[in-house]
Amino acid sequence: MSPRRIETGGRIDRLRTIRFTFDGTPYTGHAGDTLASALLANGVTLFGRSFKYHRPRGLLSAGVEEPNALVTVLRGEVREPNIAATMVEIYDGLVAVSQNRFPSLAWDVNAINQLGGKLLSAGFYYKTFMGPVFGPLKGTRFWMFCEHFIRRAAGLGKAGIAADTSRYERMNAFCDVLVVGSGPAGLSAAKTAADQGARVILAELDPRFGGSANWSGETIDGAPAADWAARTVSQLEGHDTVRLLPRTTVWGYYDGNTLAALERVTDHKEVPGKGEPRHRYWAIRAKTVVLATGSFERPLVFPGNDRPGVMLAHAAERYANDYGVLPGDRIALFTNNDSAYRSALALKKAGAAIVAIVDVRPEPSSEMRSLATEAEAEILSGHAVVATEGGKALSGLKVQRFDMNSGLLSGDARSIHADCLLMSGGWSPTIHLASQAGARAEWNPARQAFLPPKPTQQRWIGAGAFNGSFSTVEAITEGRGAGLSSAGGASAPAALPDVEAAPGDPNPAPVFEIKAKGKSFVDFQHDVTAEDVRLAHREGFVSVEHLKRYTTLGMATDQGKNSNVPGLAIMAEALGKPIPEVGTTRFRPPYSAVSIGSLAAERFGDLKPERLTPMHDWHLANGATMYSAGLWFRPMIYGLAGETIEQAYVREAKATRESAGIVDVSTLGKIAVQGPDAAEFLDRVYTNMFSTLAVGKARYGLMLREDGLAFDDGTTWRLGEQDFLMTTTTANAGKVMQHLEYFLDVIWPELKVHVTSVTDEWAGAAIGGPKARAILAACVTGTAVDNTTLPFMGIVHGQIAGVPVMICRLSFSGEMAFEVYSGAGYGTHVWEALIEAGKPFGLVTYGLEALGTMRIEKGHVTGAEIDGRTTARDLHLDWMLSKKKPFIGSAMMDREGLIAPDRLQLVGLVSLDNLPLNGGAHIVAELDETNPHDSLGHITACCYSPALGKHIALALVEGGKARHGTRAFVSDPLRKRFGPVEIVSNHFYDPDGSRMHG
Amino acid sequence: MLITCPYCGPRDVIEFTYQGDGNRERPQPNSQDLDAWNAYVYDRLNPAGDHNEIWQHSGGCRTHLRMVRNTVTHEISSTGFARGDHNAVARHKEGGKS
Amino acid sequence: MAERQSPERLSPLEPVFHPGSHGNFEHGVDVILTETRPGSILQLAAWPGAEKQLIDAIRKVTGLALPDGAGGGVAGDGKAVFGFAPGKFTVVDEAEGLASAFSKAVTPAIGTVTDLSHGRTAIRIAGPKAEWVLAKFFAIDFALPAFPIGAGRSTTHHDIFAQIQRTGADQFDIYVFRSFARSFWKALCHASEEVGYEVQ
Repeated sequence: MSPRRIETGGRIDRLRTIRFTFDGTPYTGHAGDTLASALLANGVTLFGRSFKYHRPRGLLSAGVEEPNALVTVLRGEVREPNIAATMVEIYDGLVAVSQNRFPSLAWDVNAINQLGGKLLSAGFYYKTFMGPVFGPLKGTRFWMFCEHFIRRAAGLGKAGIAADTSRYERMNAFCDVLVVGSGPAGLSAAKTAADQGARVILAELDPRFGGSANWSGETIDGAPAADWAARTVSQLEGHDTVRLLPRTTVWGYYDGNTLAALERVTDHKEVPGKGEPRHRYWAIRAKTVVLATGSFERPLVFPGNDRPGVMLAHAAERYANDYGVLPGDRIALFTNNDSAYRSALALKKAGAAIVAIVDVRPEPSSEMRSLATEAEAEILSGHAVVATEGGKALSGLKVQRFDMNSGLLSGDARSIHADCLLMSGGWSPTIHLASQAGARAEWNPARQAFLPPKPTQQRWIGAGAFNGSFSTVEAITEGRGAGLSSAGGASAPAALPDVEAAPGDPNPAPVFEIKAKGKSFVDFQHDVTAEDVRLAHREGFVSVEHLKRYTTLGMATDQGKNSNVPGLAIMAEALGKPIPEVGTTRFRPPYSAVSIGSLAAERFGDLKPERLTPMHDWHLANGATMYSAGLWFRPMIYGLAGETIEQAYVREAKATRESAGIVDVSTLGKIAVQGPDAAEFLDRVYTNMFSTLAVGKARYGLMLREDGLAFDDGTTWRLGEQDFLMTTTTANAGKVMQHLEYFLDVIWPELKVHVTSVTDEWAGAAIGGPKARAILAACVTGTAVDNTTLPFMGIVHGQIAGVPVMICRLSFSGEMAFEVYSGAGYGTHVWEALIEAGKPFGLVTYGLEALGTMRIEKGHVTGAEIDGRTTARDLHLDWMLSKKKPFIGSAMMDREGLIAPDRLQLVGLVSLDNLPLNGGAHIVAELDETNPHDSLGHITACCYSPALGKHIALALVEGGKARHGTRAFVSDPLRKRFGPVEIVSNHFYDPDGSRMHG
Repeated sequence: MLITCPYCGPRDVIEFTYQGDGNRERPQPNSQDLDAWNAYVYDRLNPAGDHNEIWQHSGGCRTHLRMVRNTVTHEISSTGFARGDHNAVARHKEGGKS
Repeated sequence: MAERQSPERLSPLEPVFHPGSHGNFEHGVDVILTETRPGSILQLAAWPGAEKQLIDAIRKVTGLALPDGAGGGVAGDGKAVFGFAPGKFTVVDEAEGLASAFSKAVTPAIGTVTDLSHGRTAIRIAGPKAEWVLAKFFAIDFALPAFPIGAGRSTTHHDIFAQIQRTGADQFDIYVFRSFARSFWKALCHASEEVGYEVQ
């Protein structure tokens, strides 16, 4: 048996031994142990080194509030730092290491920082940042000089760099009642609400439901409270409408009663189940929330209160009763309230000697005296602890007479030999979630604590210690009331269980700090001392929010759990104001640490959605290199063996212009615009007319935004009198859809028009080139494709390989070209038939690179030019601006700034040094490589043009059209590309369109 | 934050897209009053308190809603379809509570 | 070249559709995933005020009587219909050709018919853990009282828009855009591993 393990008691399974290591040393524990309880059982007292001073630290608590015993848990190469040892359930093979020590936990060189206490006092970082005002290290240079050393010495655990392969998941849940916390209040609330038929979720951050019932040693209905808890849990398990979530921390309370919770699903398992996530992020929408989150015992602030062996009183009680571990053989207690007497008796029963109960109050009640007598403990009333002794473990303490009203110490210090000192500074309700939910906490002078505010917008009800009702009987009664009202229930609930009343006054004495020589810690995690709080006050940081930020009091994982009230009390005293006037900080999410993985959940790796065209698999099987365009995947090139990207697209574009090429255009946005007012609607959204378009014809259209700038372009096909098929650019499909829906819903509800996304309904193949028509003629049945039947911008319906198709003759490449649309399920079928038919004609497949090359040669615009800053005129599309009708943007498009002659306008560029041009490069009139300046514009798209045999580009250039035929330079200092270009028309190739018109 | 769509019921804000200040009035299409157009396109109220807003249930039924949302507390005091003629098919009564 | 008659439509799930048991199935299969591949998927939309006439037309063509209320729906006999937006309905039929049947019944005075038979992919999830698996994706309440049999919902998982109809106590039919279907299917399989799933 381990040195501190008790023979009996606790919920650990002594028959199951679990092996783990801490800092490389092998230890054993039992099933049910936390890392903290198992190490404590093994006699370990030193768990970590403090943040700034590297002081040795042991366990302060037994729960989520633990500030000292933060460890790093290793799973293979994956390391997770800053986990409270009190929250780690041990499993076979667990590897944990301590933090913030060098070279080892026992021998830490930075512990010398303790001697330099003044240097590292409050605001150290702020003062250091400022640095001296002159000299070689002036200003922030001093910080940069110091940073290296500080980063190494200060801080907590080191984050890992190995990729975390664990699975994380998100869950959405809905319920009538979410009960947070499963102590007596939470269990009672959940049971009552469930009995009323409500859908209930009960979330408990510990592995076992029951909270204090598991270790309080109280009696409910004549049996141990833990039995009552177990029985209640099994009754809850019998309800279909109840979901029990153990190991689940509710960490955020958001608008609309939406709560965020983290379930640690497999952290306690040696090997997770197949497909099981490590953590599950629960987004819970609850009609009503019952907050039964209990309370935290507060430390007392006195010199040496951080020494290993100094612990919260209830934590020791819990180690004994829950885990069967005694934190000491000779235990002293230091308290300002009655609850420590019960802890003393519990520890006595568990086998420890209680050497003294040091009580700041002059006259403990007779009830407490009899508890002390039962615990065989001497009461030192009107005394306070003024020092602790020992190194990596406690060896003793010193007490002095203390006057609670004046705060003064008197008389000689008396030494007491003890290996464990338990402190109790009163209790603070865990109001974090209520504070997040929006209301300000209220100070209760009797309880010396902030009690939860009244709910404002959010629908929650508090119960038990959360309300400052610290007794079990109150918890169960309030829990039942909360359960009943949250479930909207009226029927009489079952009788209350009979709870043996625990003796004691819930109100502590208003004593938070014992002022004596030595460091007295308020925030253990950040090494913030009482003197730091006073220093902040002297330096003018008197608002609680400033105090928090200046001293780091209550930040990081602490979130005010231990330090909040003592820190405020000390500040209030310094200010000479009562605590309620000082106020408290508002708690914000998260309540405790949340894994980033759980927030990302399923959205990682290949699980981000991919949009695939109907011909995707064909492209992959036929040598395409895919390119992701937004969520879509599109072929970039179909490279042959040994080809570079440029060689491939040049070959593809050249072959298209010489014979024919085919490209997958299924990604184009397609919107069905249907209804009696469809033509009128299109007249309003496009700059040009669509009501005059004949059925069976298509037209190129341009849309502006309300502010008169260009928005999107595409062709729209009139399939019937009231039936149009609009196409948009791939990138803008969603935006155009929302734009149309907005106008139909909000601006013109009188129009009878429906718009529906049919992008995915149609597979599209664009086939272009001198041989394109011959290829279609070879495979299309049911219609002719000659110039009369299918003129430019005409539409015909026919079949290819038995599949109905719709063919529109339009061109993006500048060649005679056709877009062939079929049902998406037939896309590959039609595509393959076209490829087959094209073989005798030298048809090639081409990708986005060749598509882009041919559109640059033609000077067509895309999103690179319609960039949200250009107008129709800038892009030489003013011929599309109808003067016969108003349209979206028509009123704003002629504003002075939008028609100025020196605006950036679309031009073509030809590289005069025969070197490639770069997208984004600036255009300048005169080259100054060492001091690039006076940009005239920039390149939007560039390529090597096989048709021209030159490197060309499209660019937006100031007063562009007037510069045609002039020379300028590209200036691209980042890529060191400078060189002469000629500014030309954007229509490089076949400017009169004779090729596409045939 | 939850928004009660009159058709779909209460849904997470992630399903909605903010579509702007609901106080704007679009001038008549052929209006040449540039000041009115300017106010419509650019002027926005930015109250600390109740605000008329337009949201689209873009991740749901895709209708547009007019709602009054308090920009300080996020409380939504009313929601309804932007199109009055849809309210006949609403199942969730105006008022934001379901 | 010989013309093939009525070729079979290609499923977007094809390369990732692996019939059989997967994931944690040793402990039992808790969901069954399948693609239902209906012949017709239509969107019908009524002009405001013409909803009742459209509902009548749906009953005449399909024999399915829509219950009152937003998101109401009914399924059976190889056909299904549900409302997904004000005045808008999705109608599904095992057989092809439903669009031409409706093009006569839904006159321009009533509303519009949009054929989405190729554009949407229908995925069915059934089994005791169907609600659990779907709750990983969608922020809507799948519990039976909140989402009755026959009812439809429009919702989103990140960028993937979905219409969902409950077609049984523990069965849901999910209609997603065809281009996203493979991605969604893979994610659905991934999310089902934990409970054990079978692809049929």
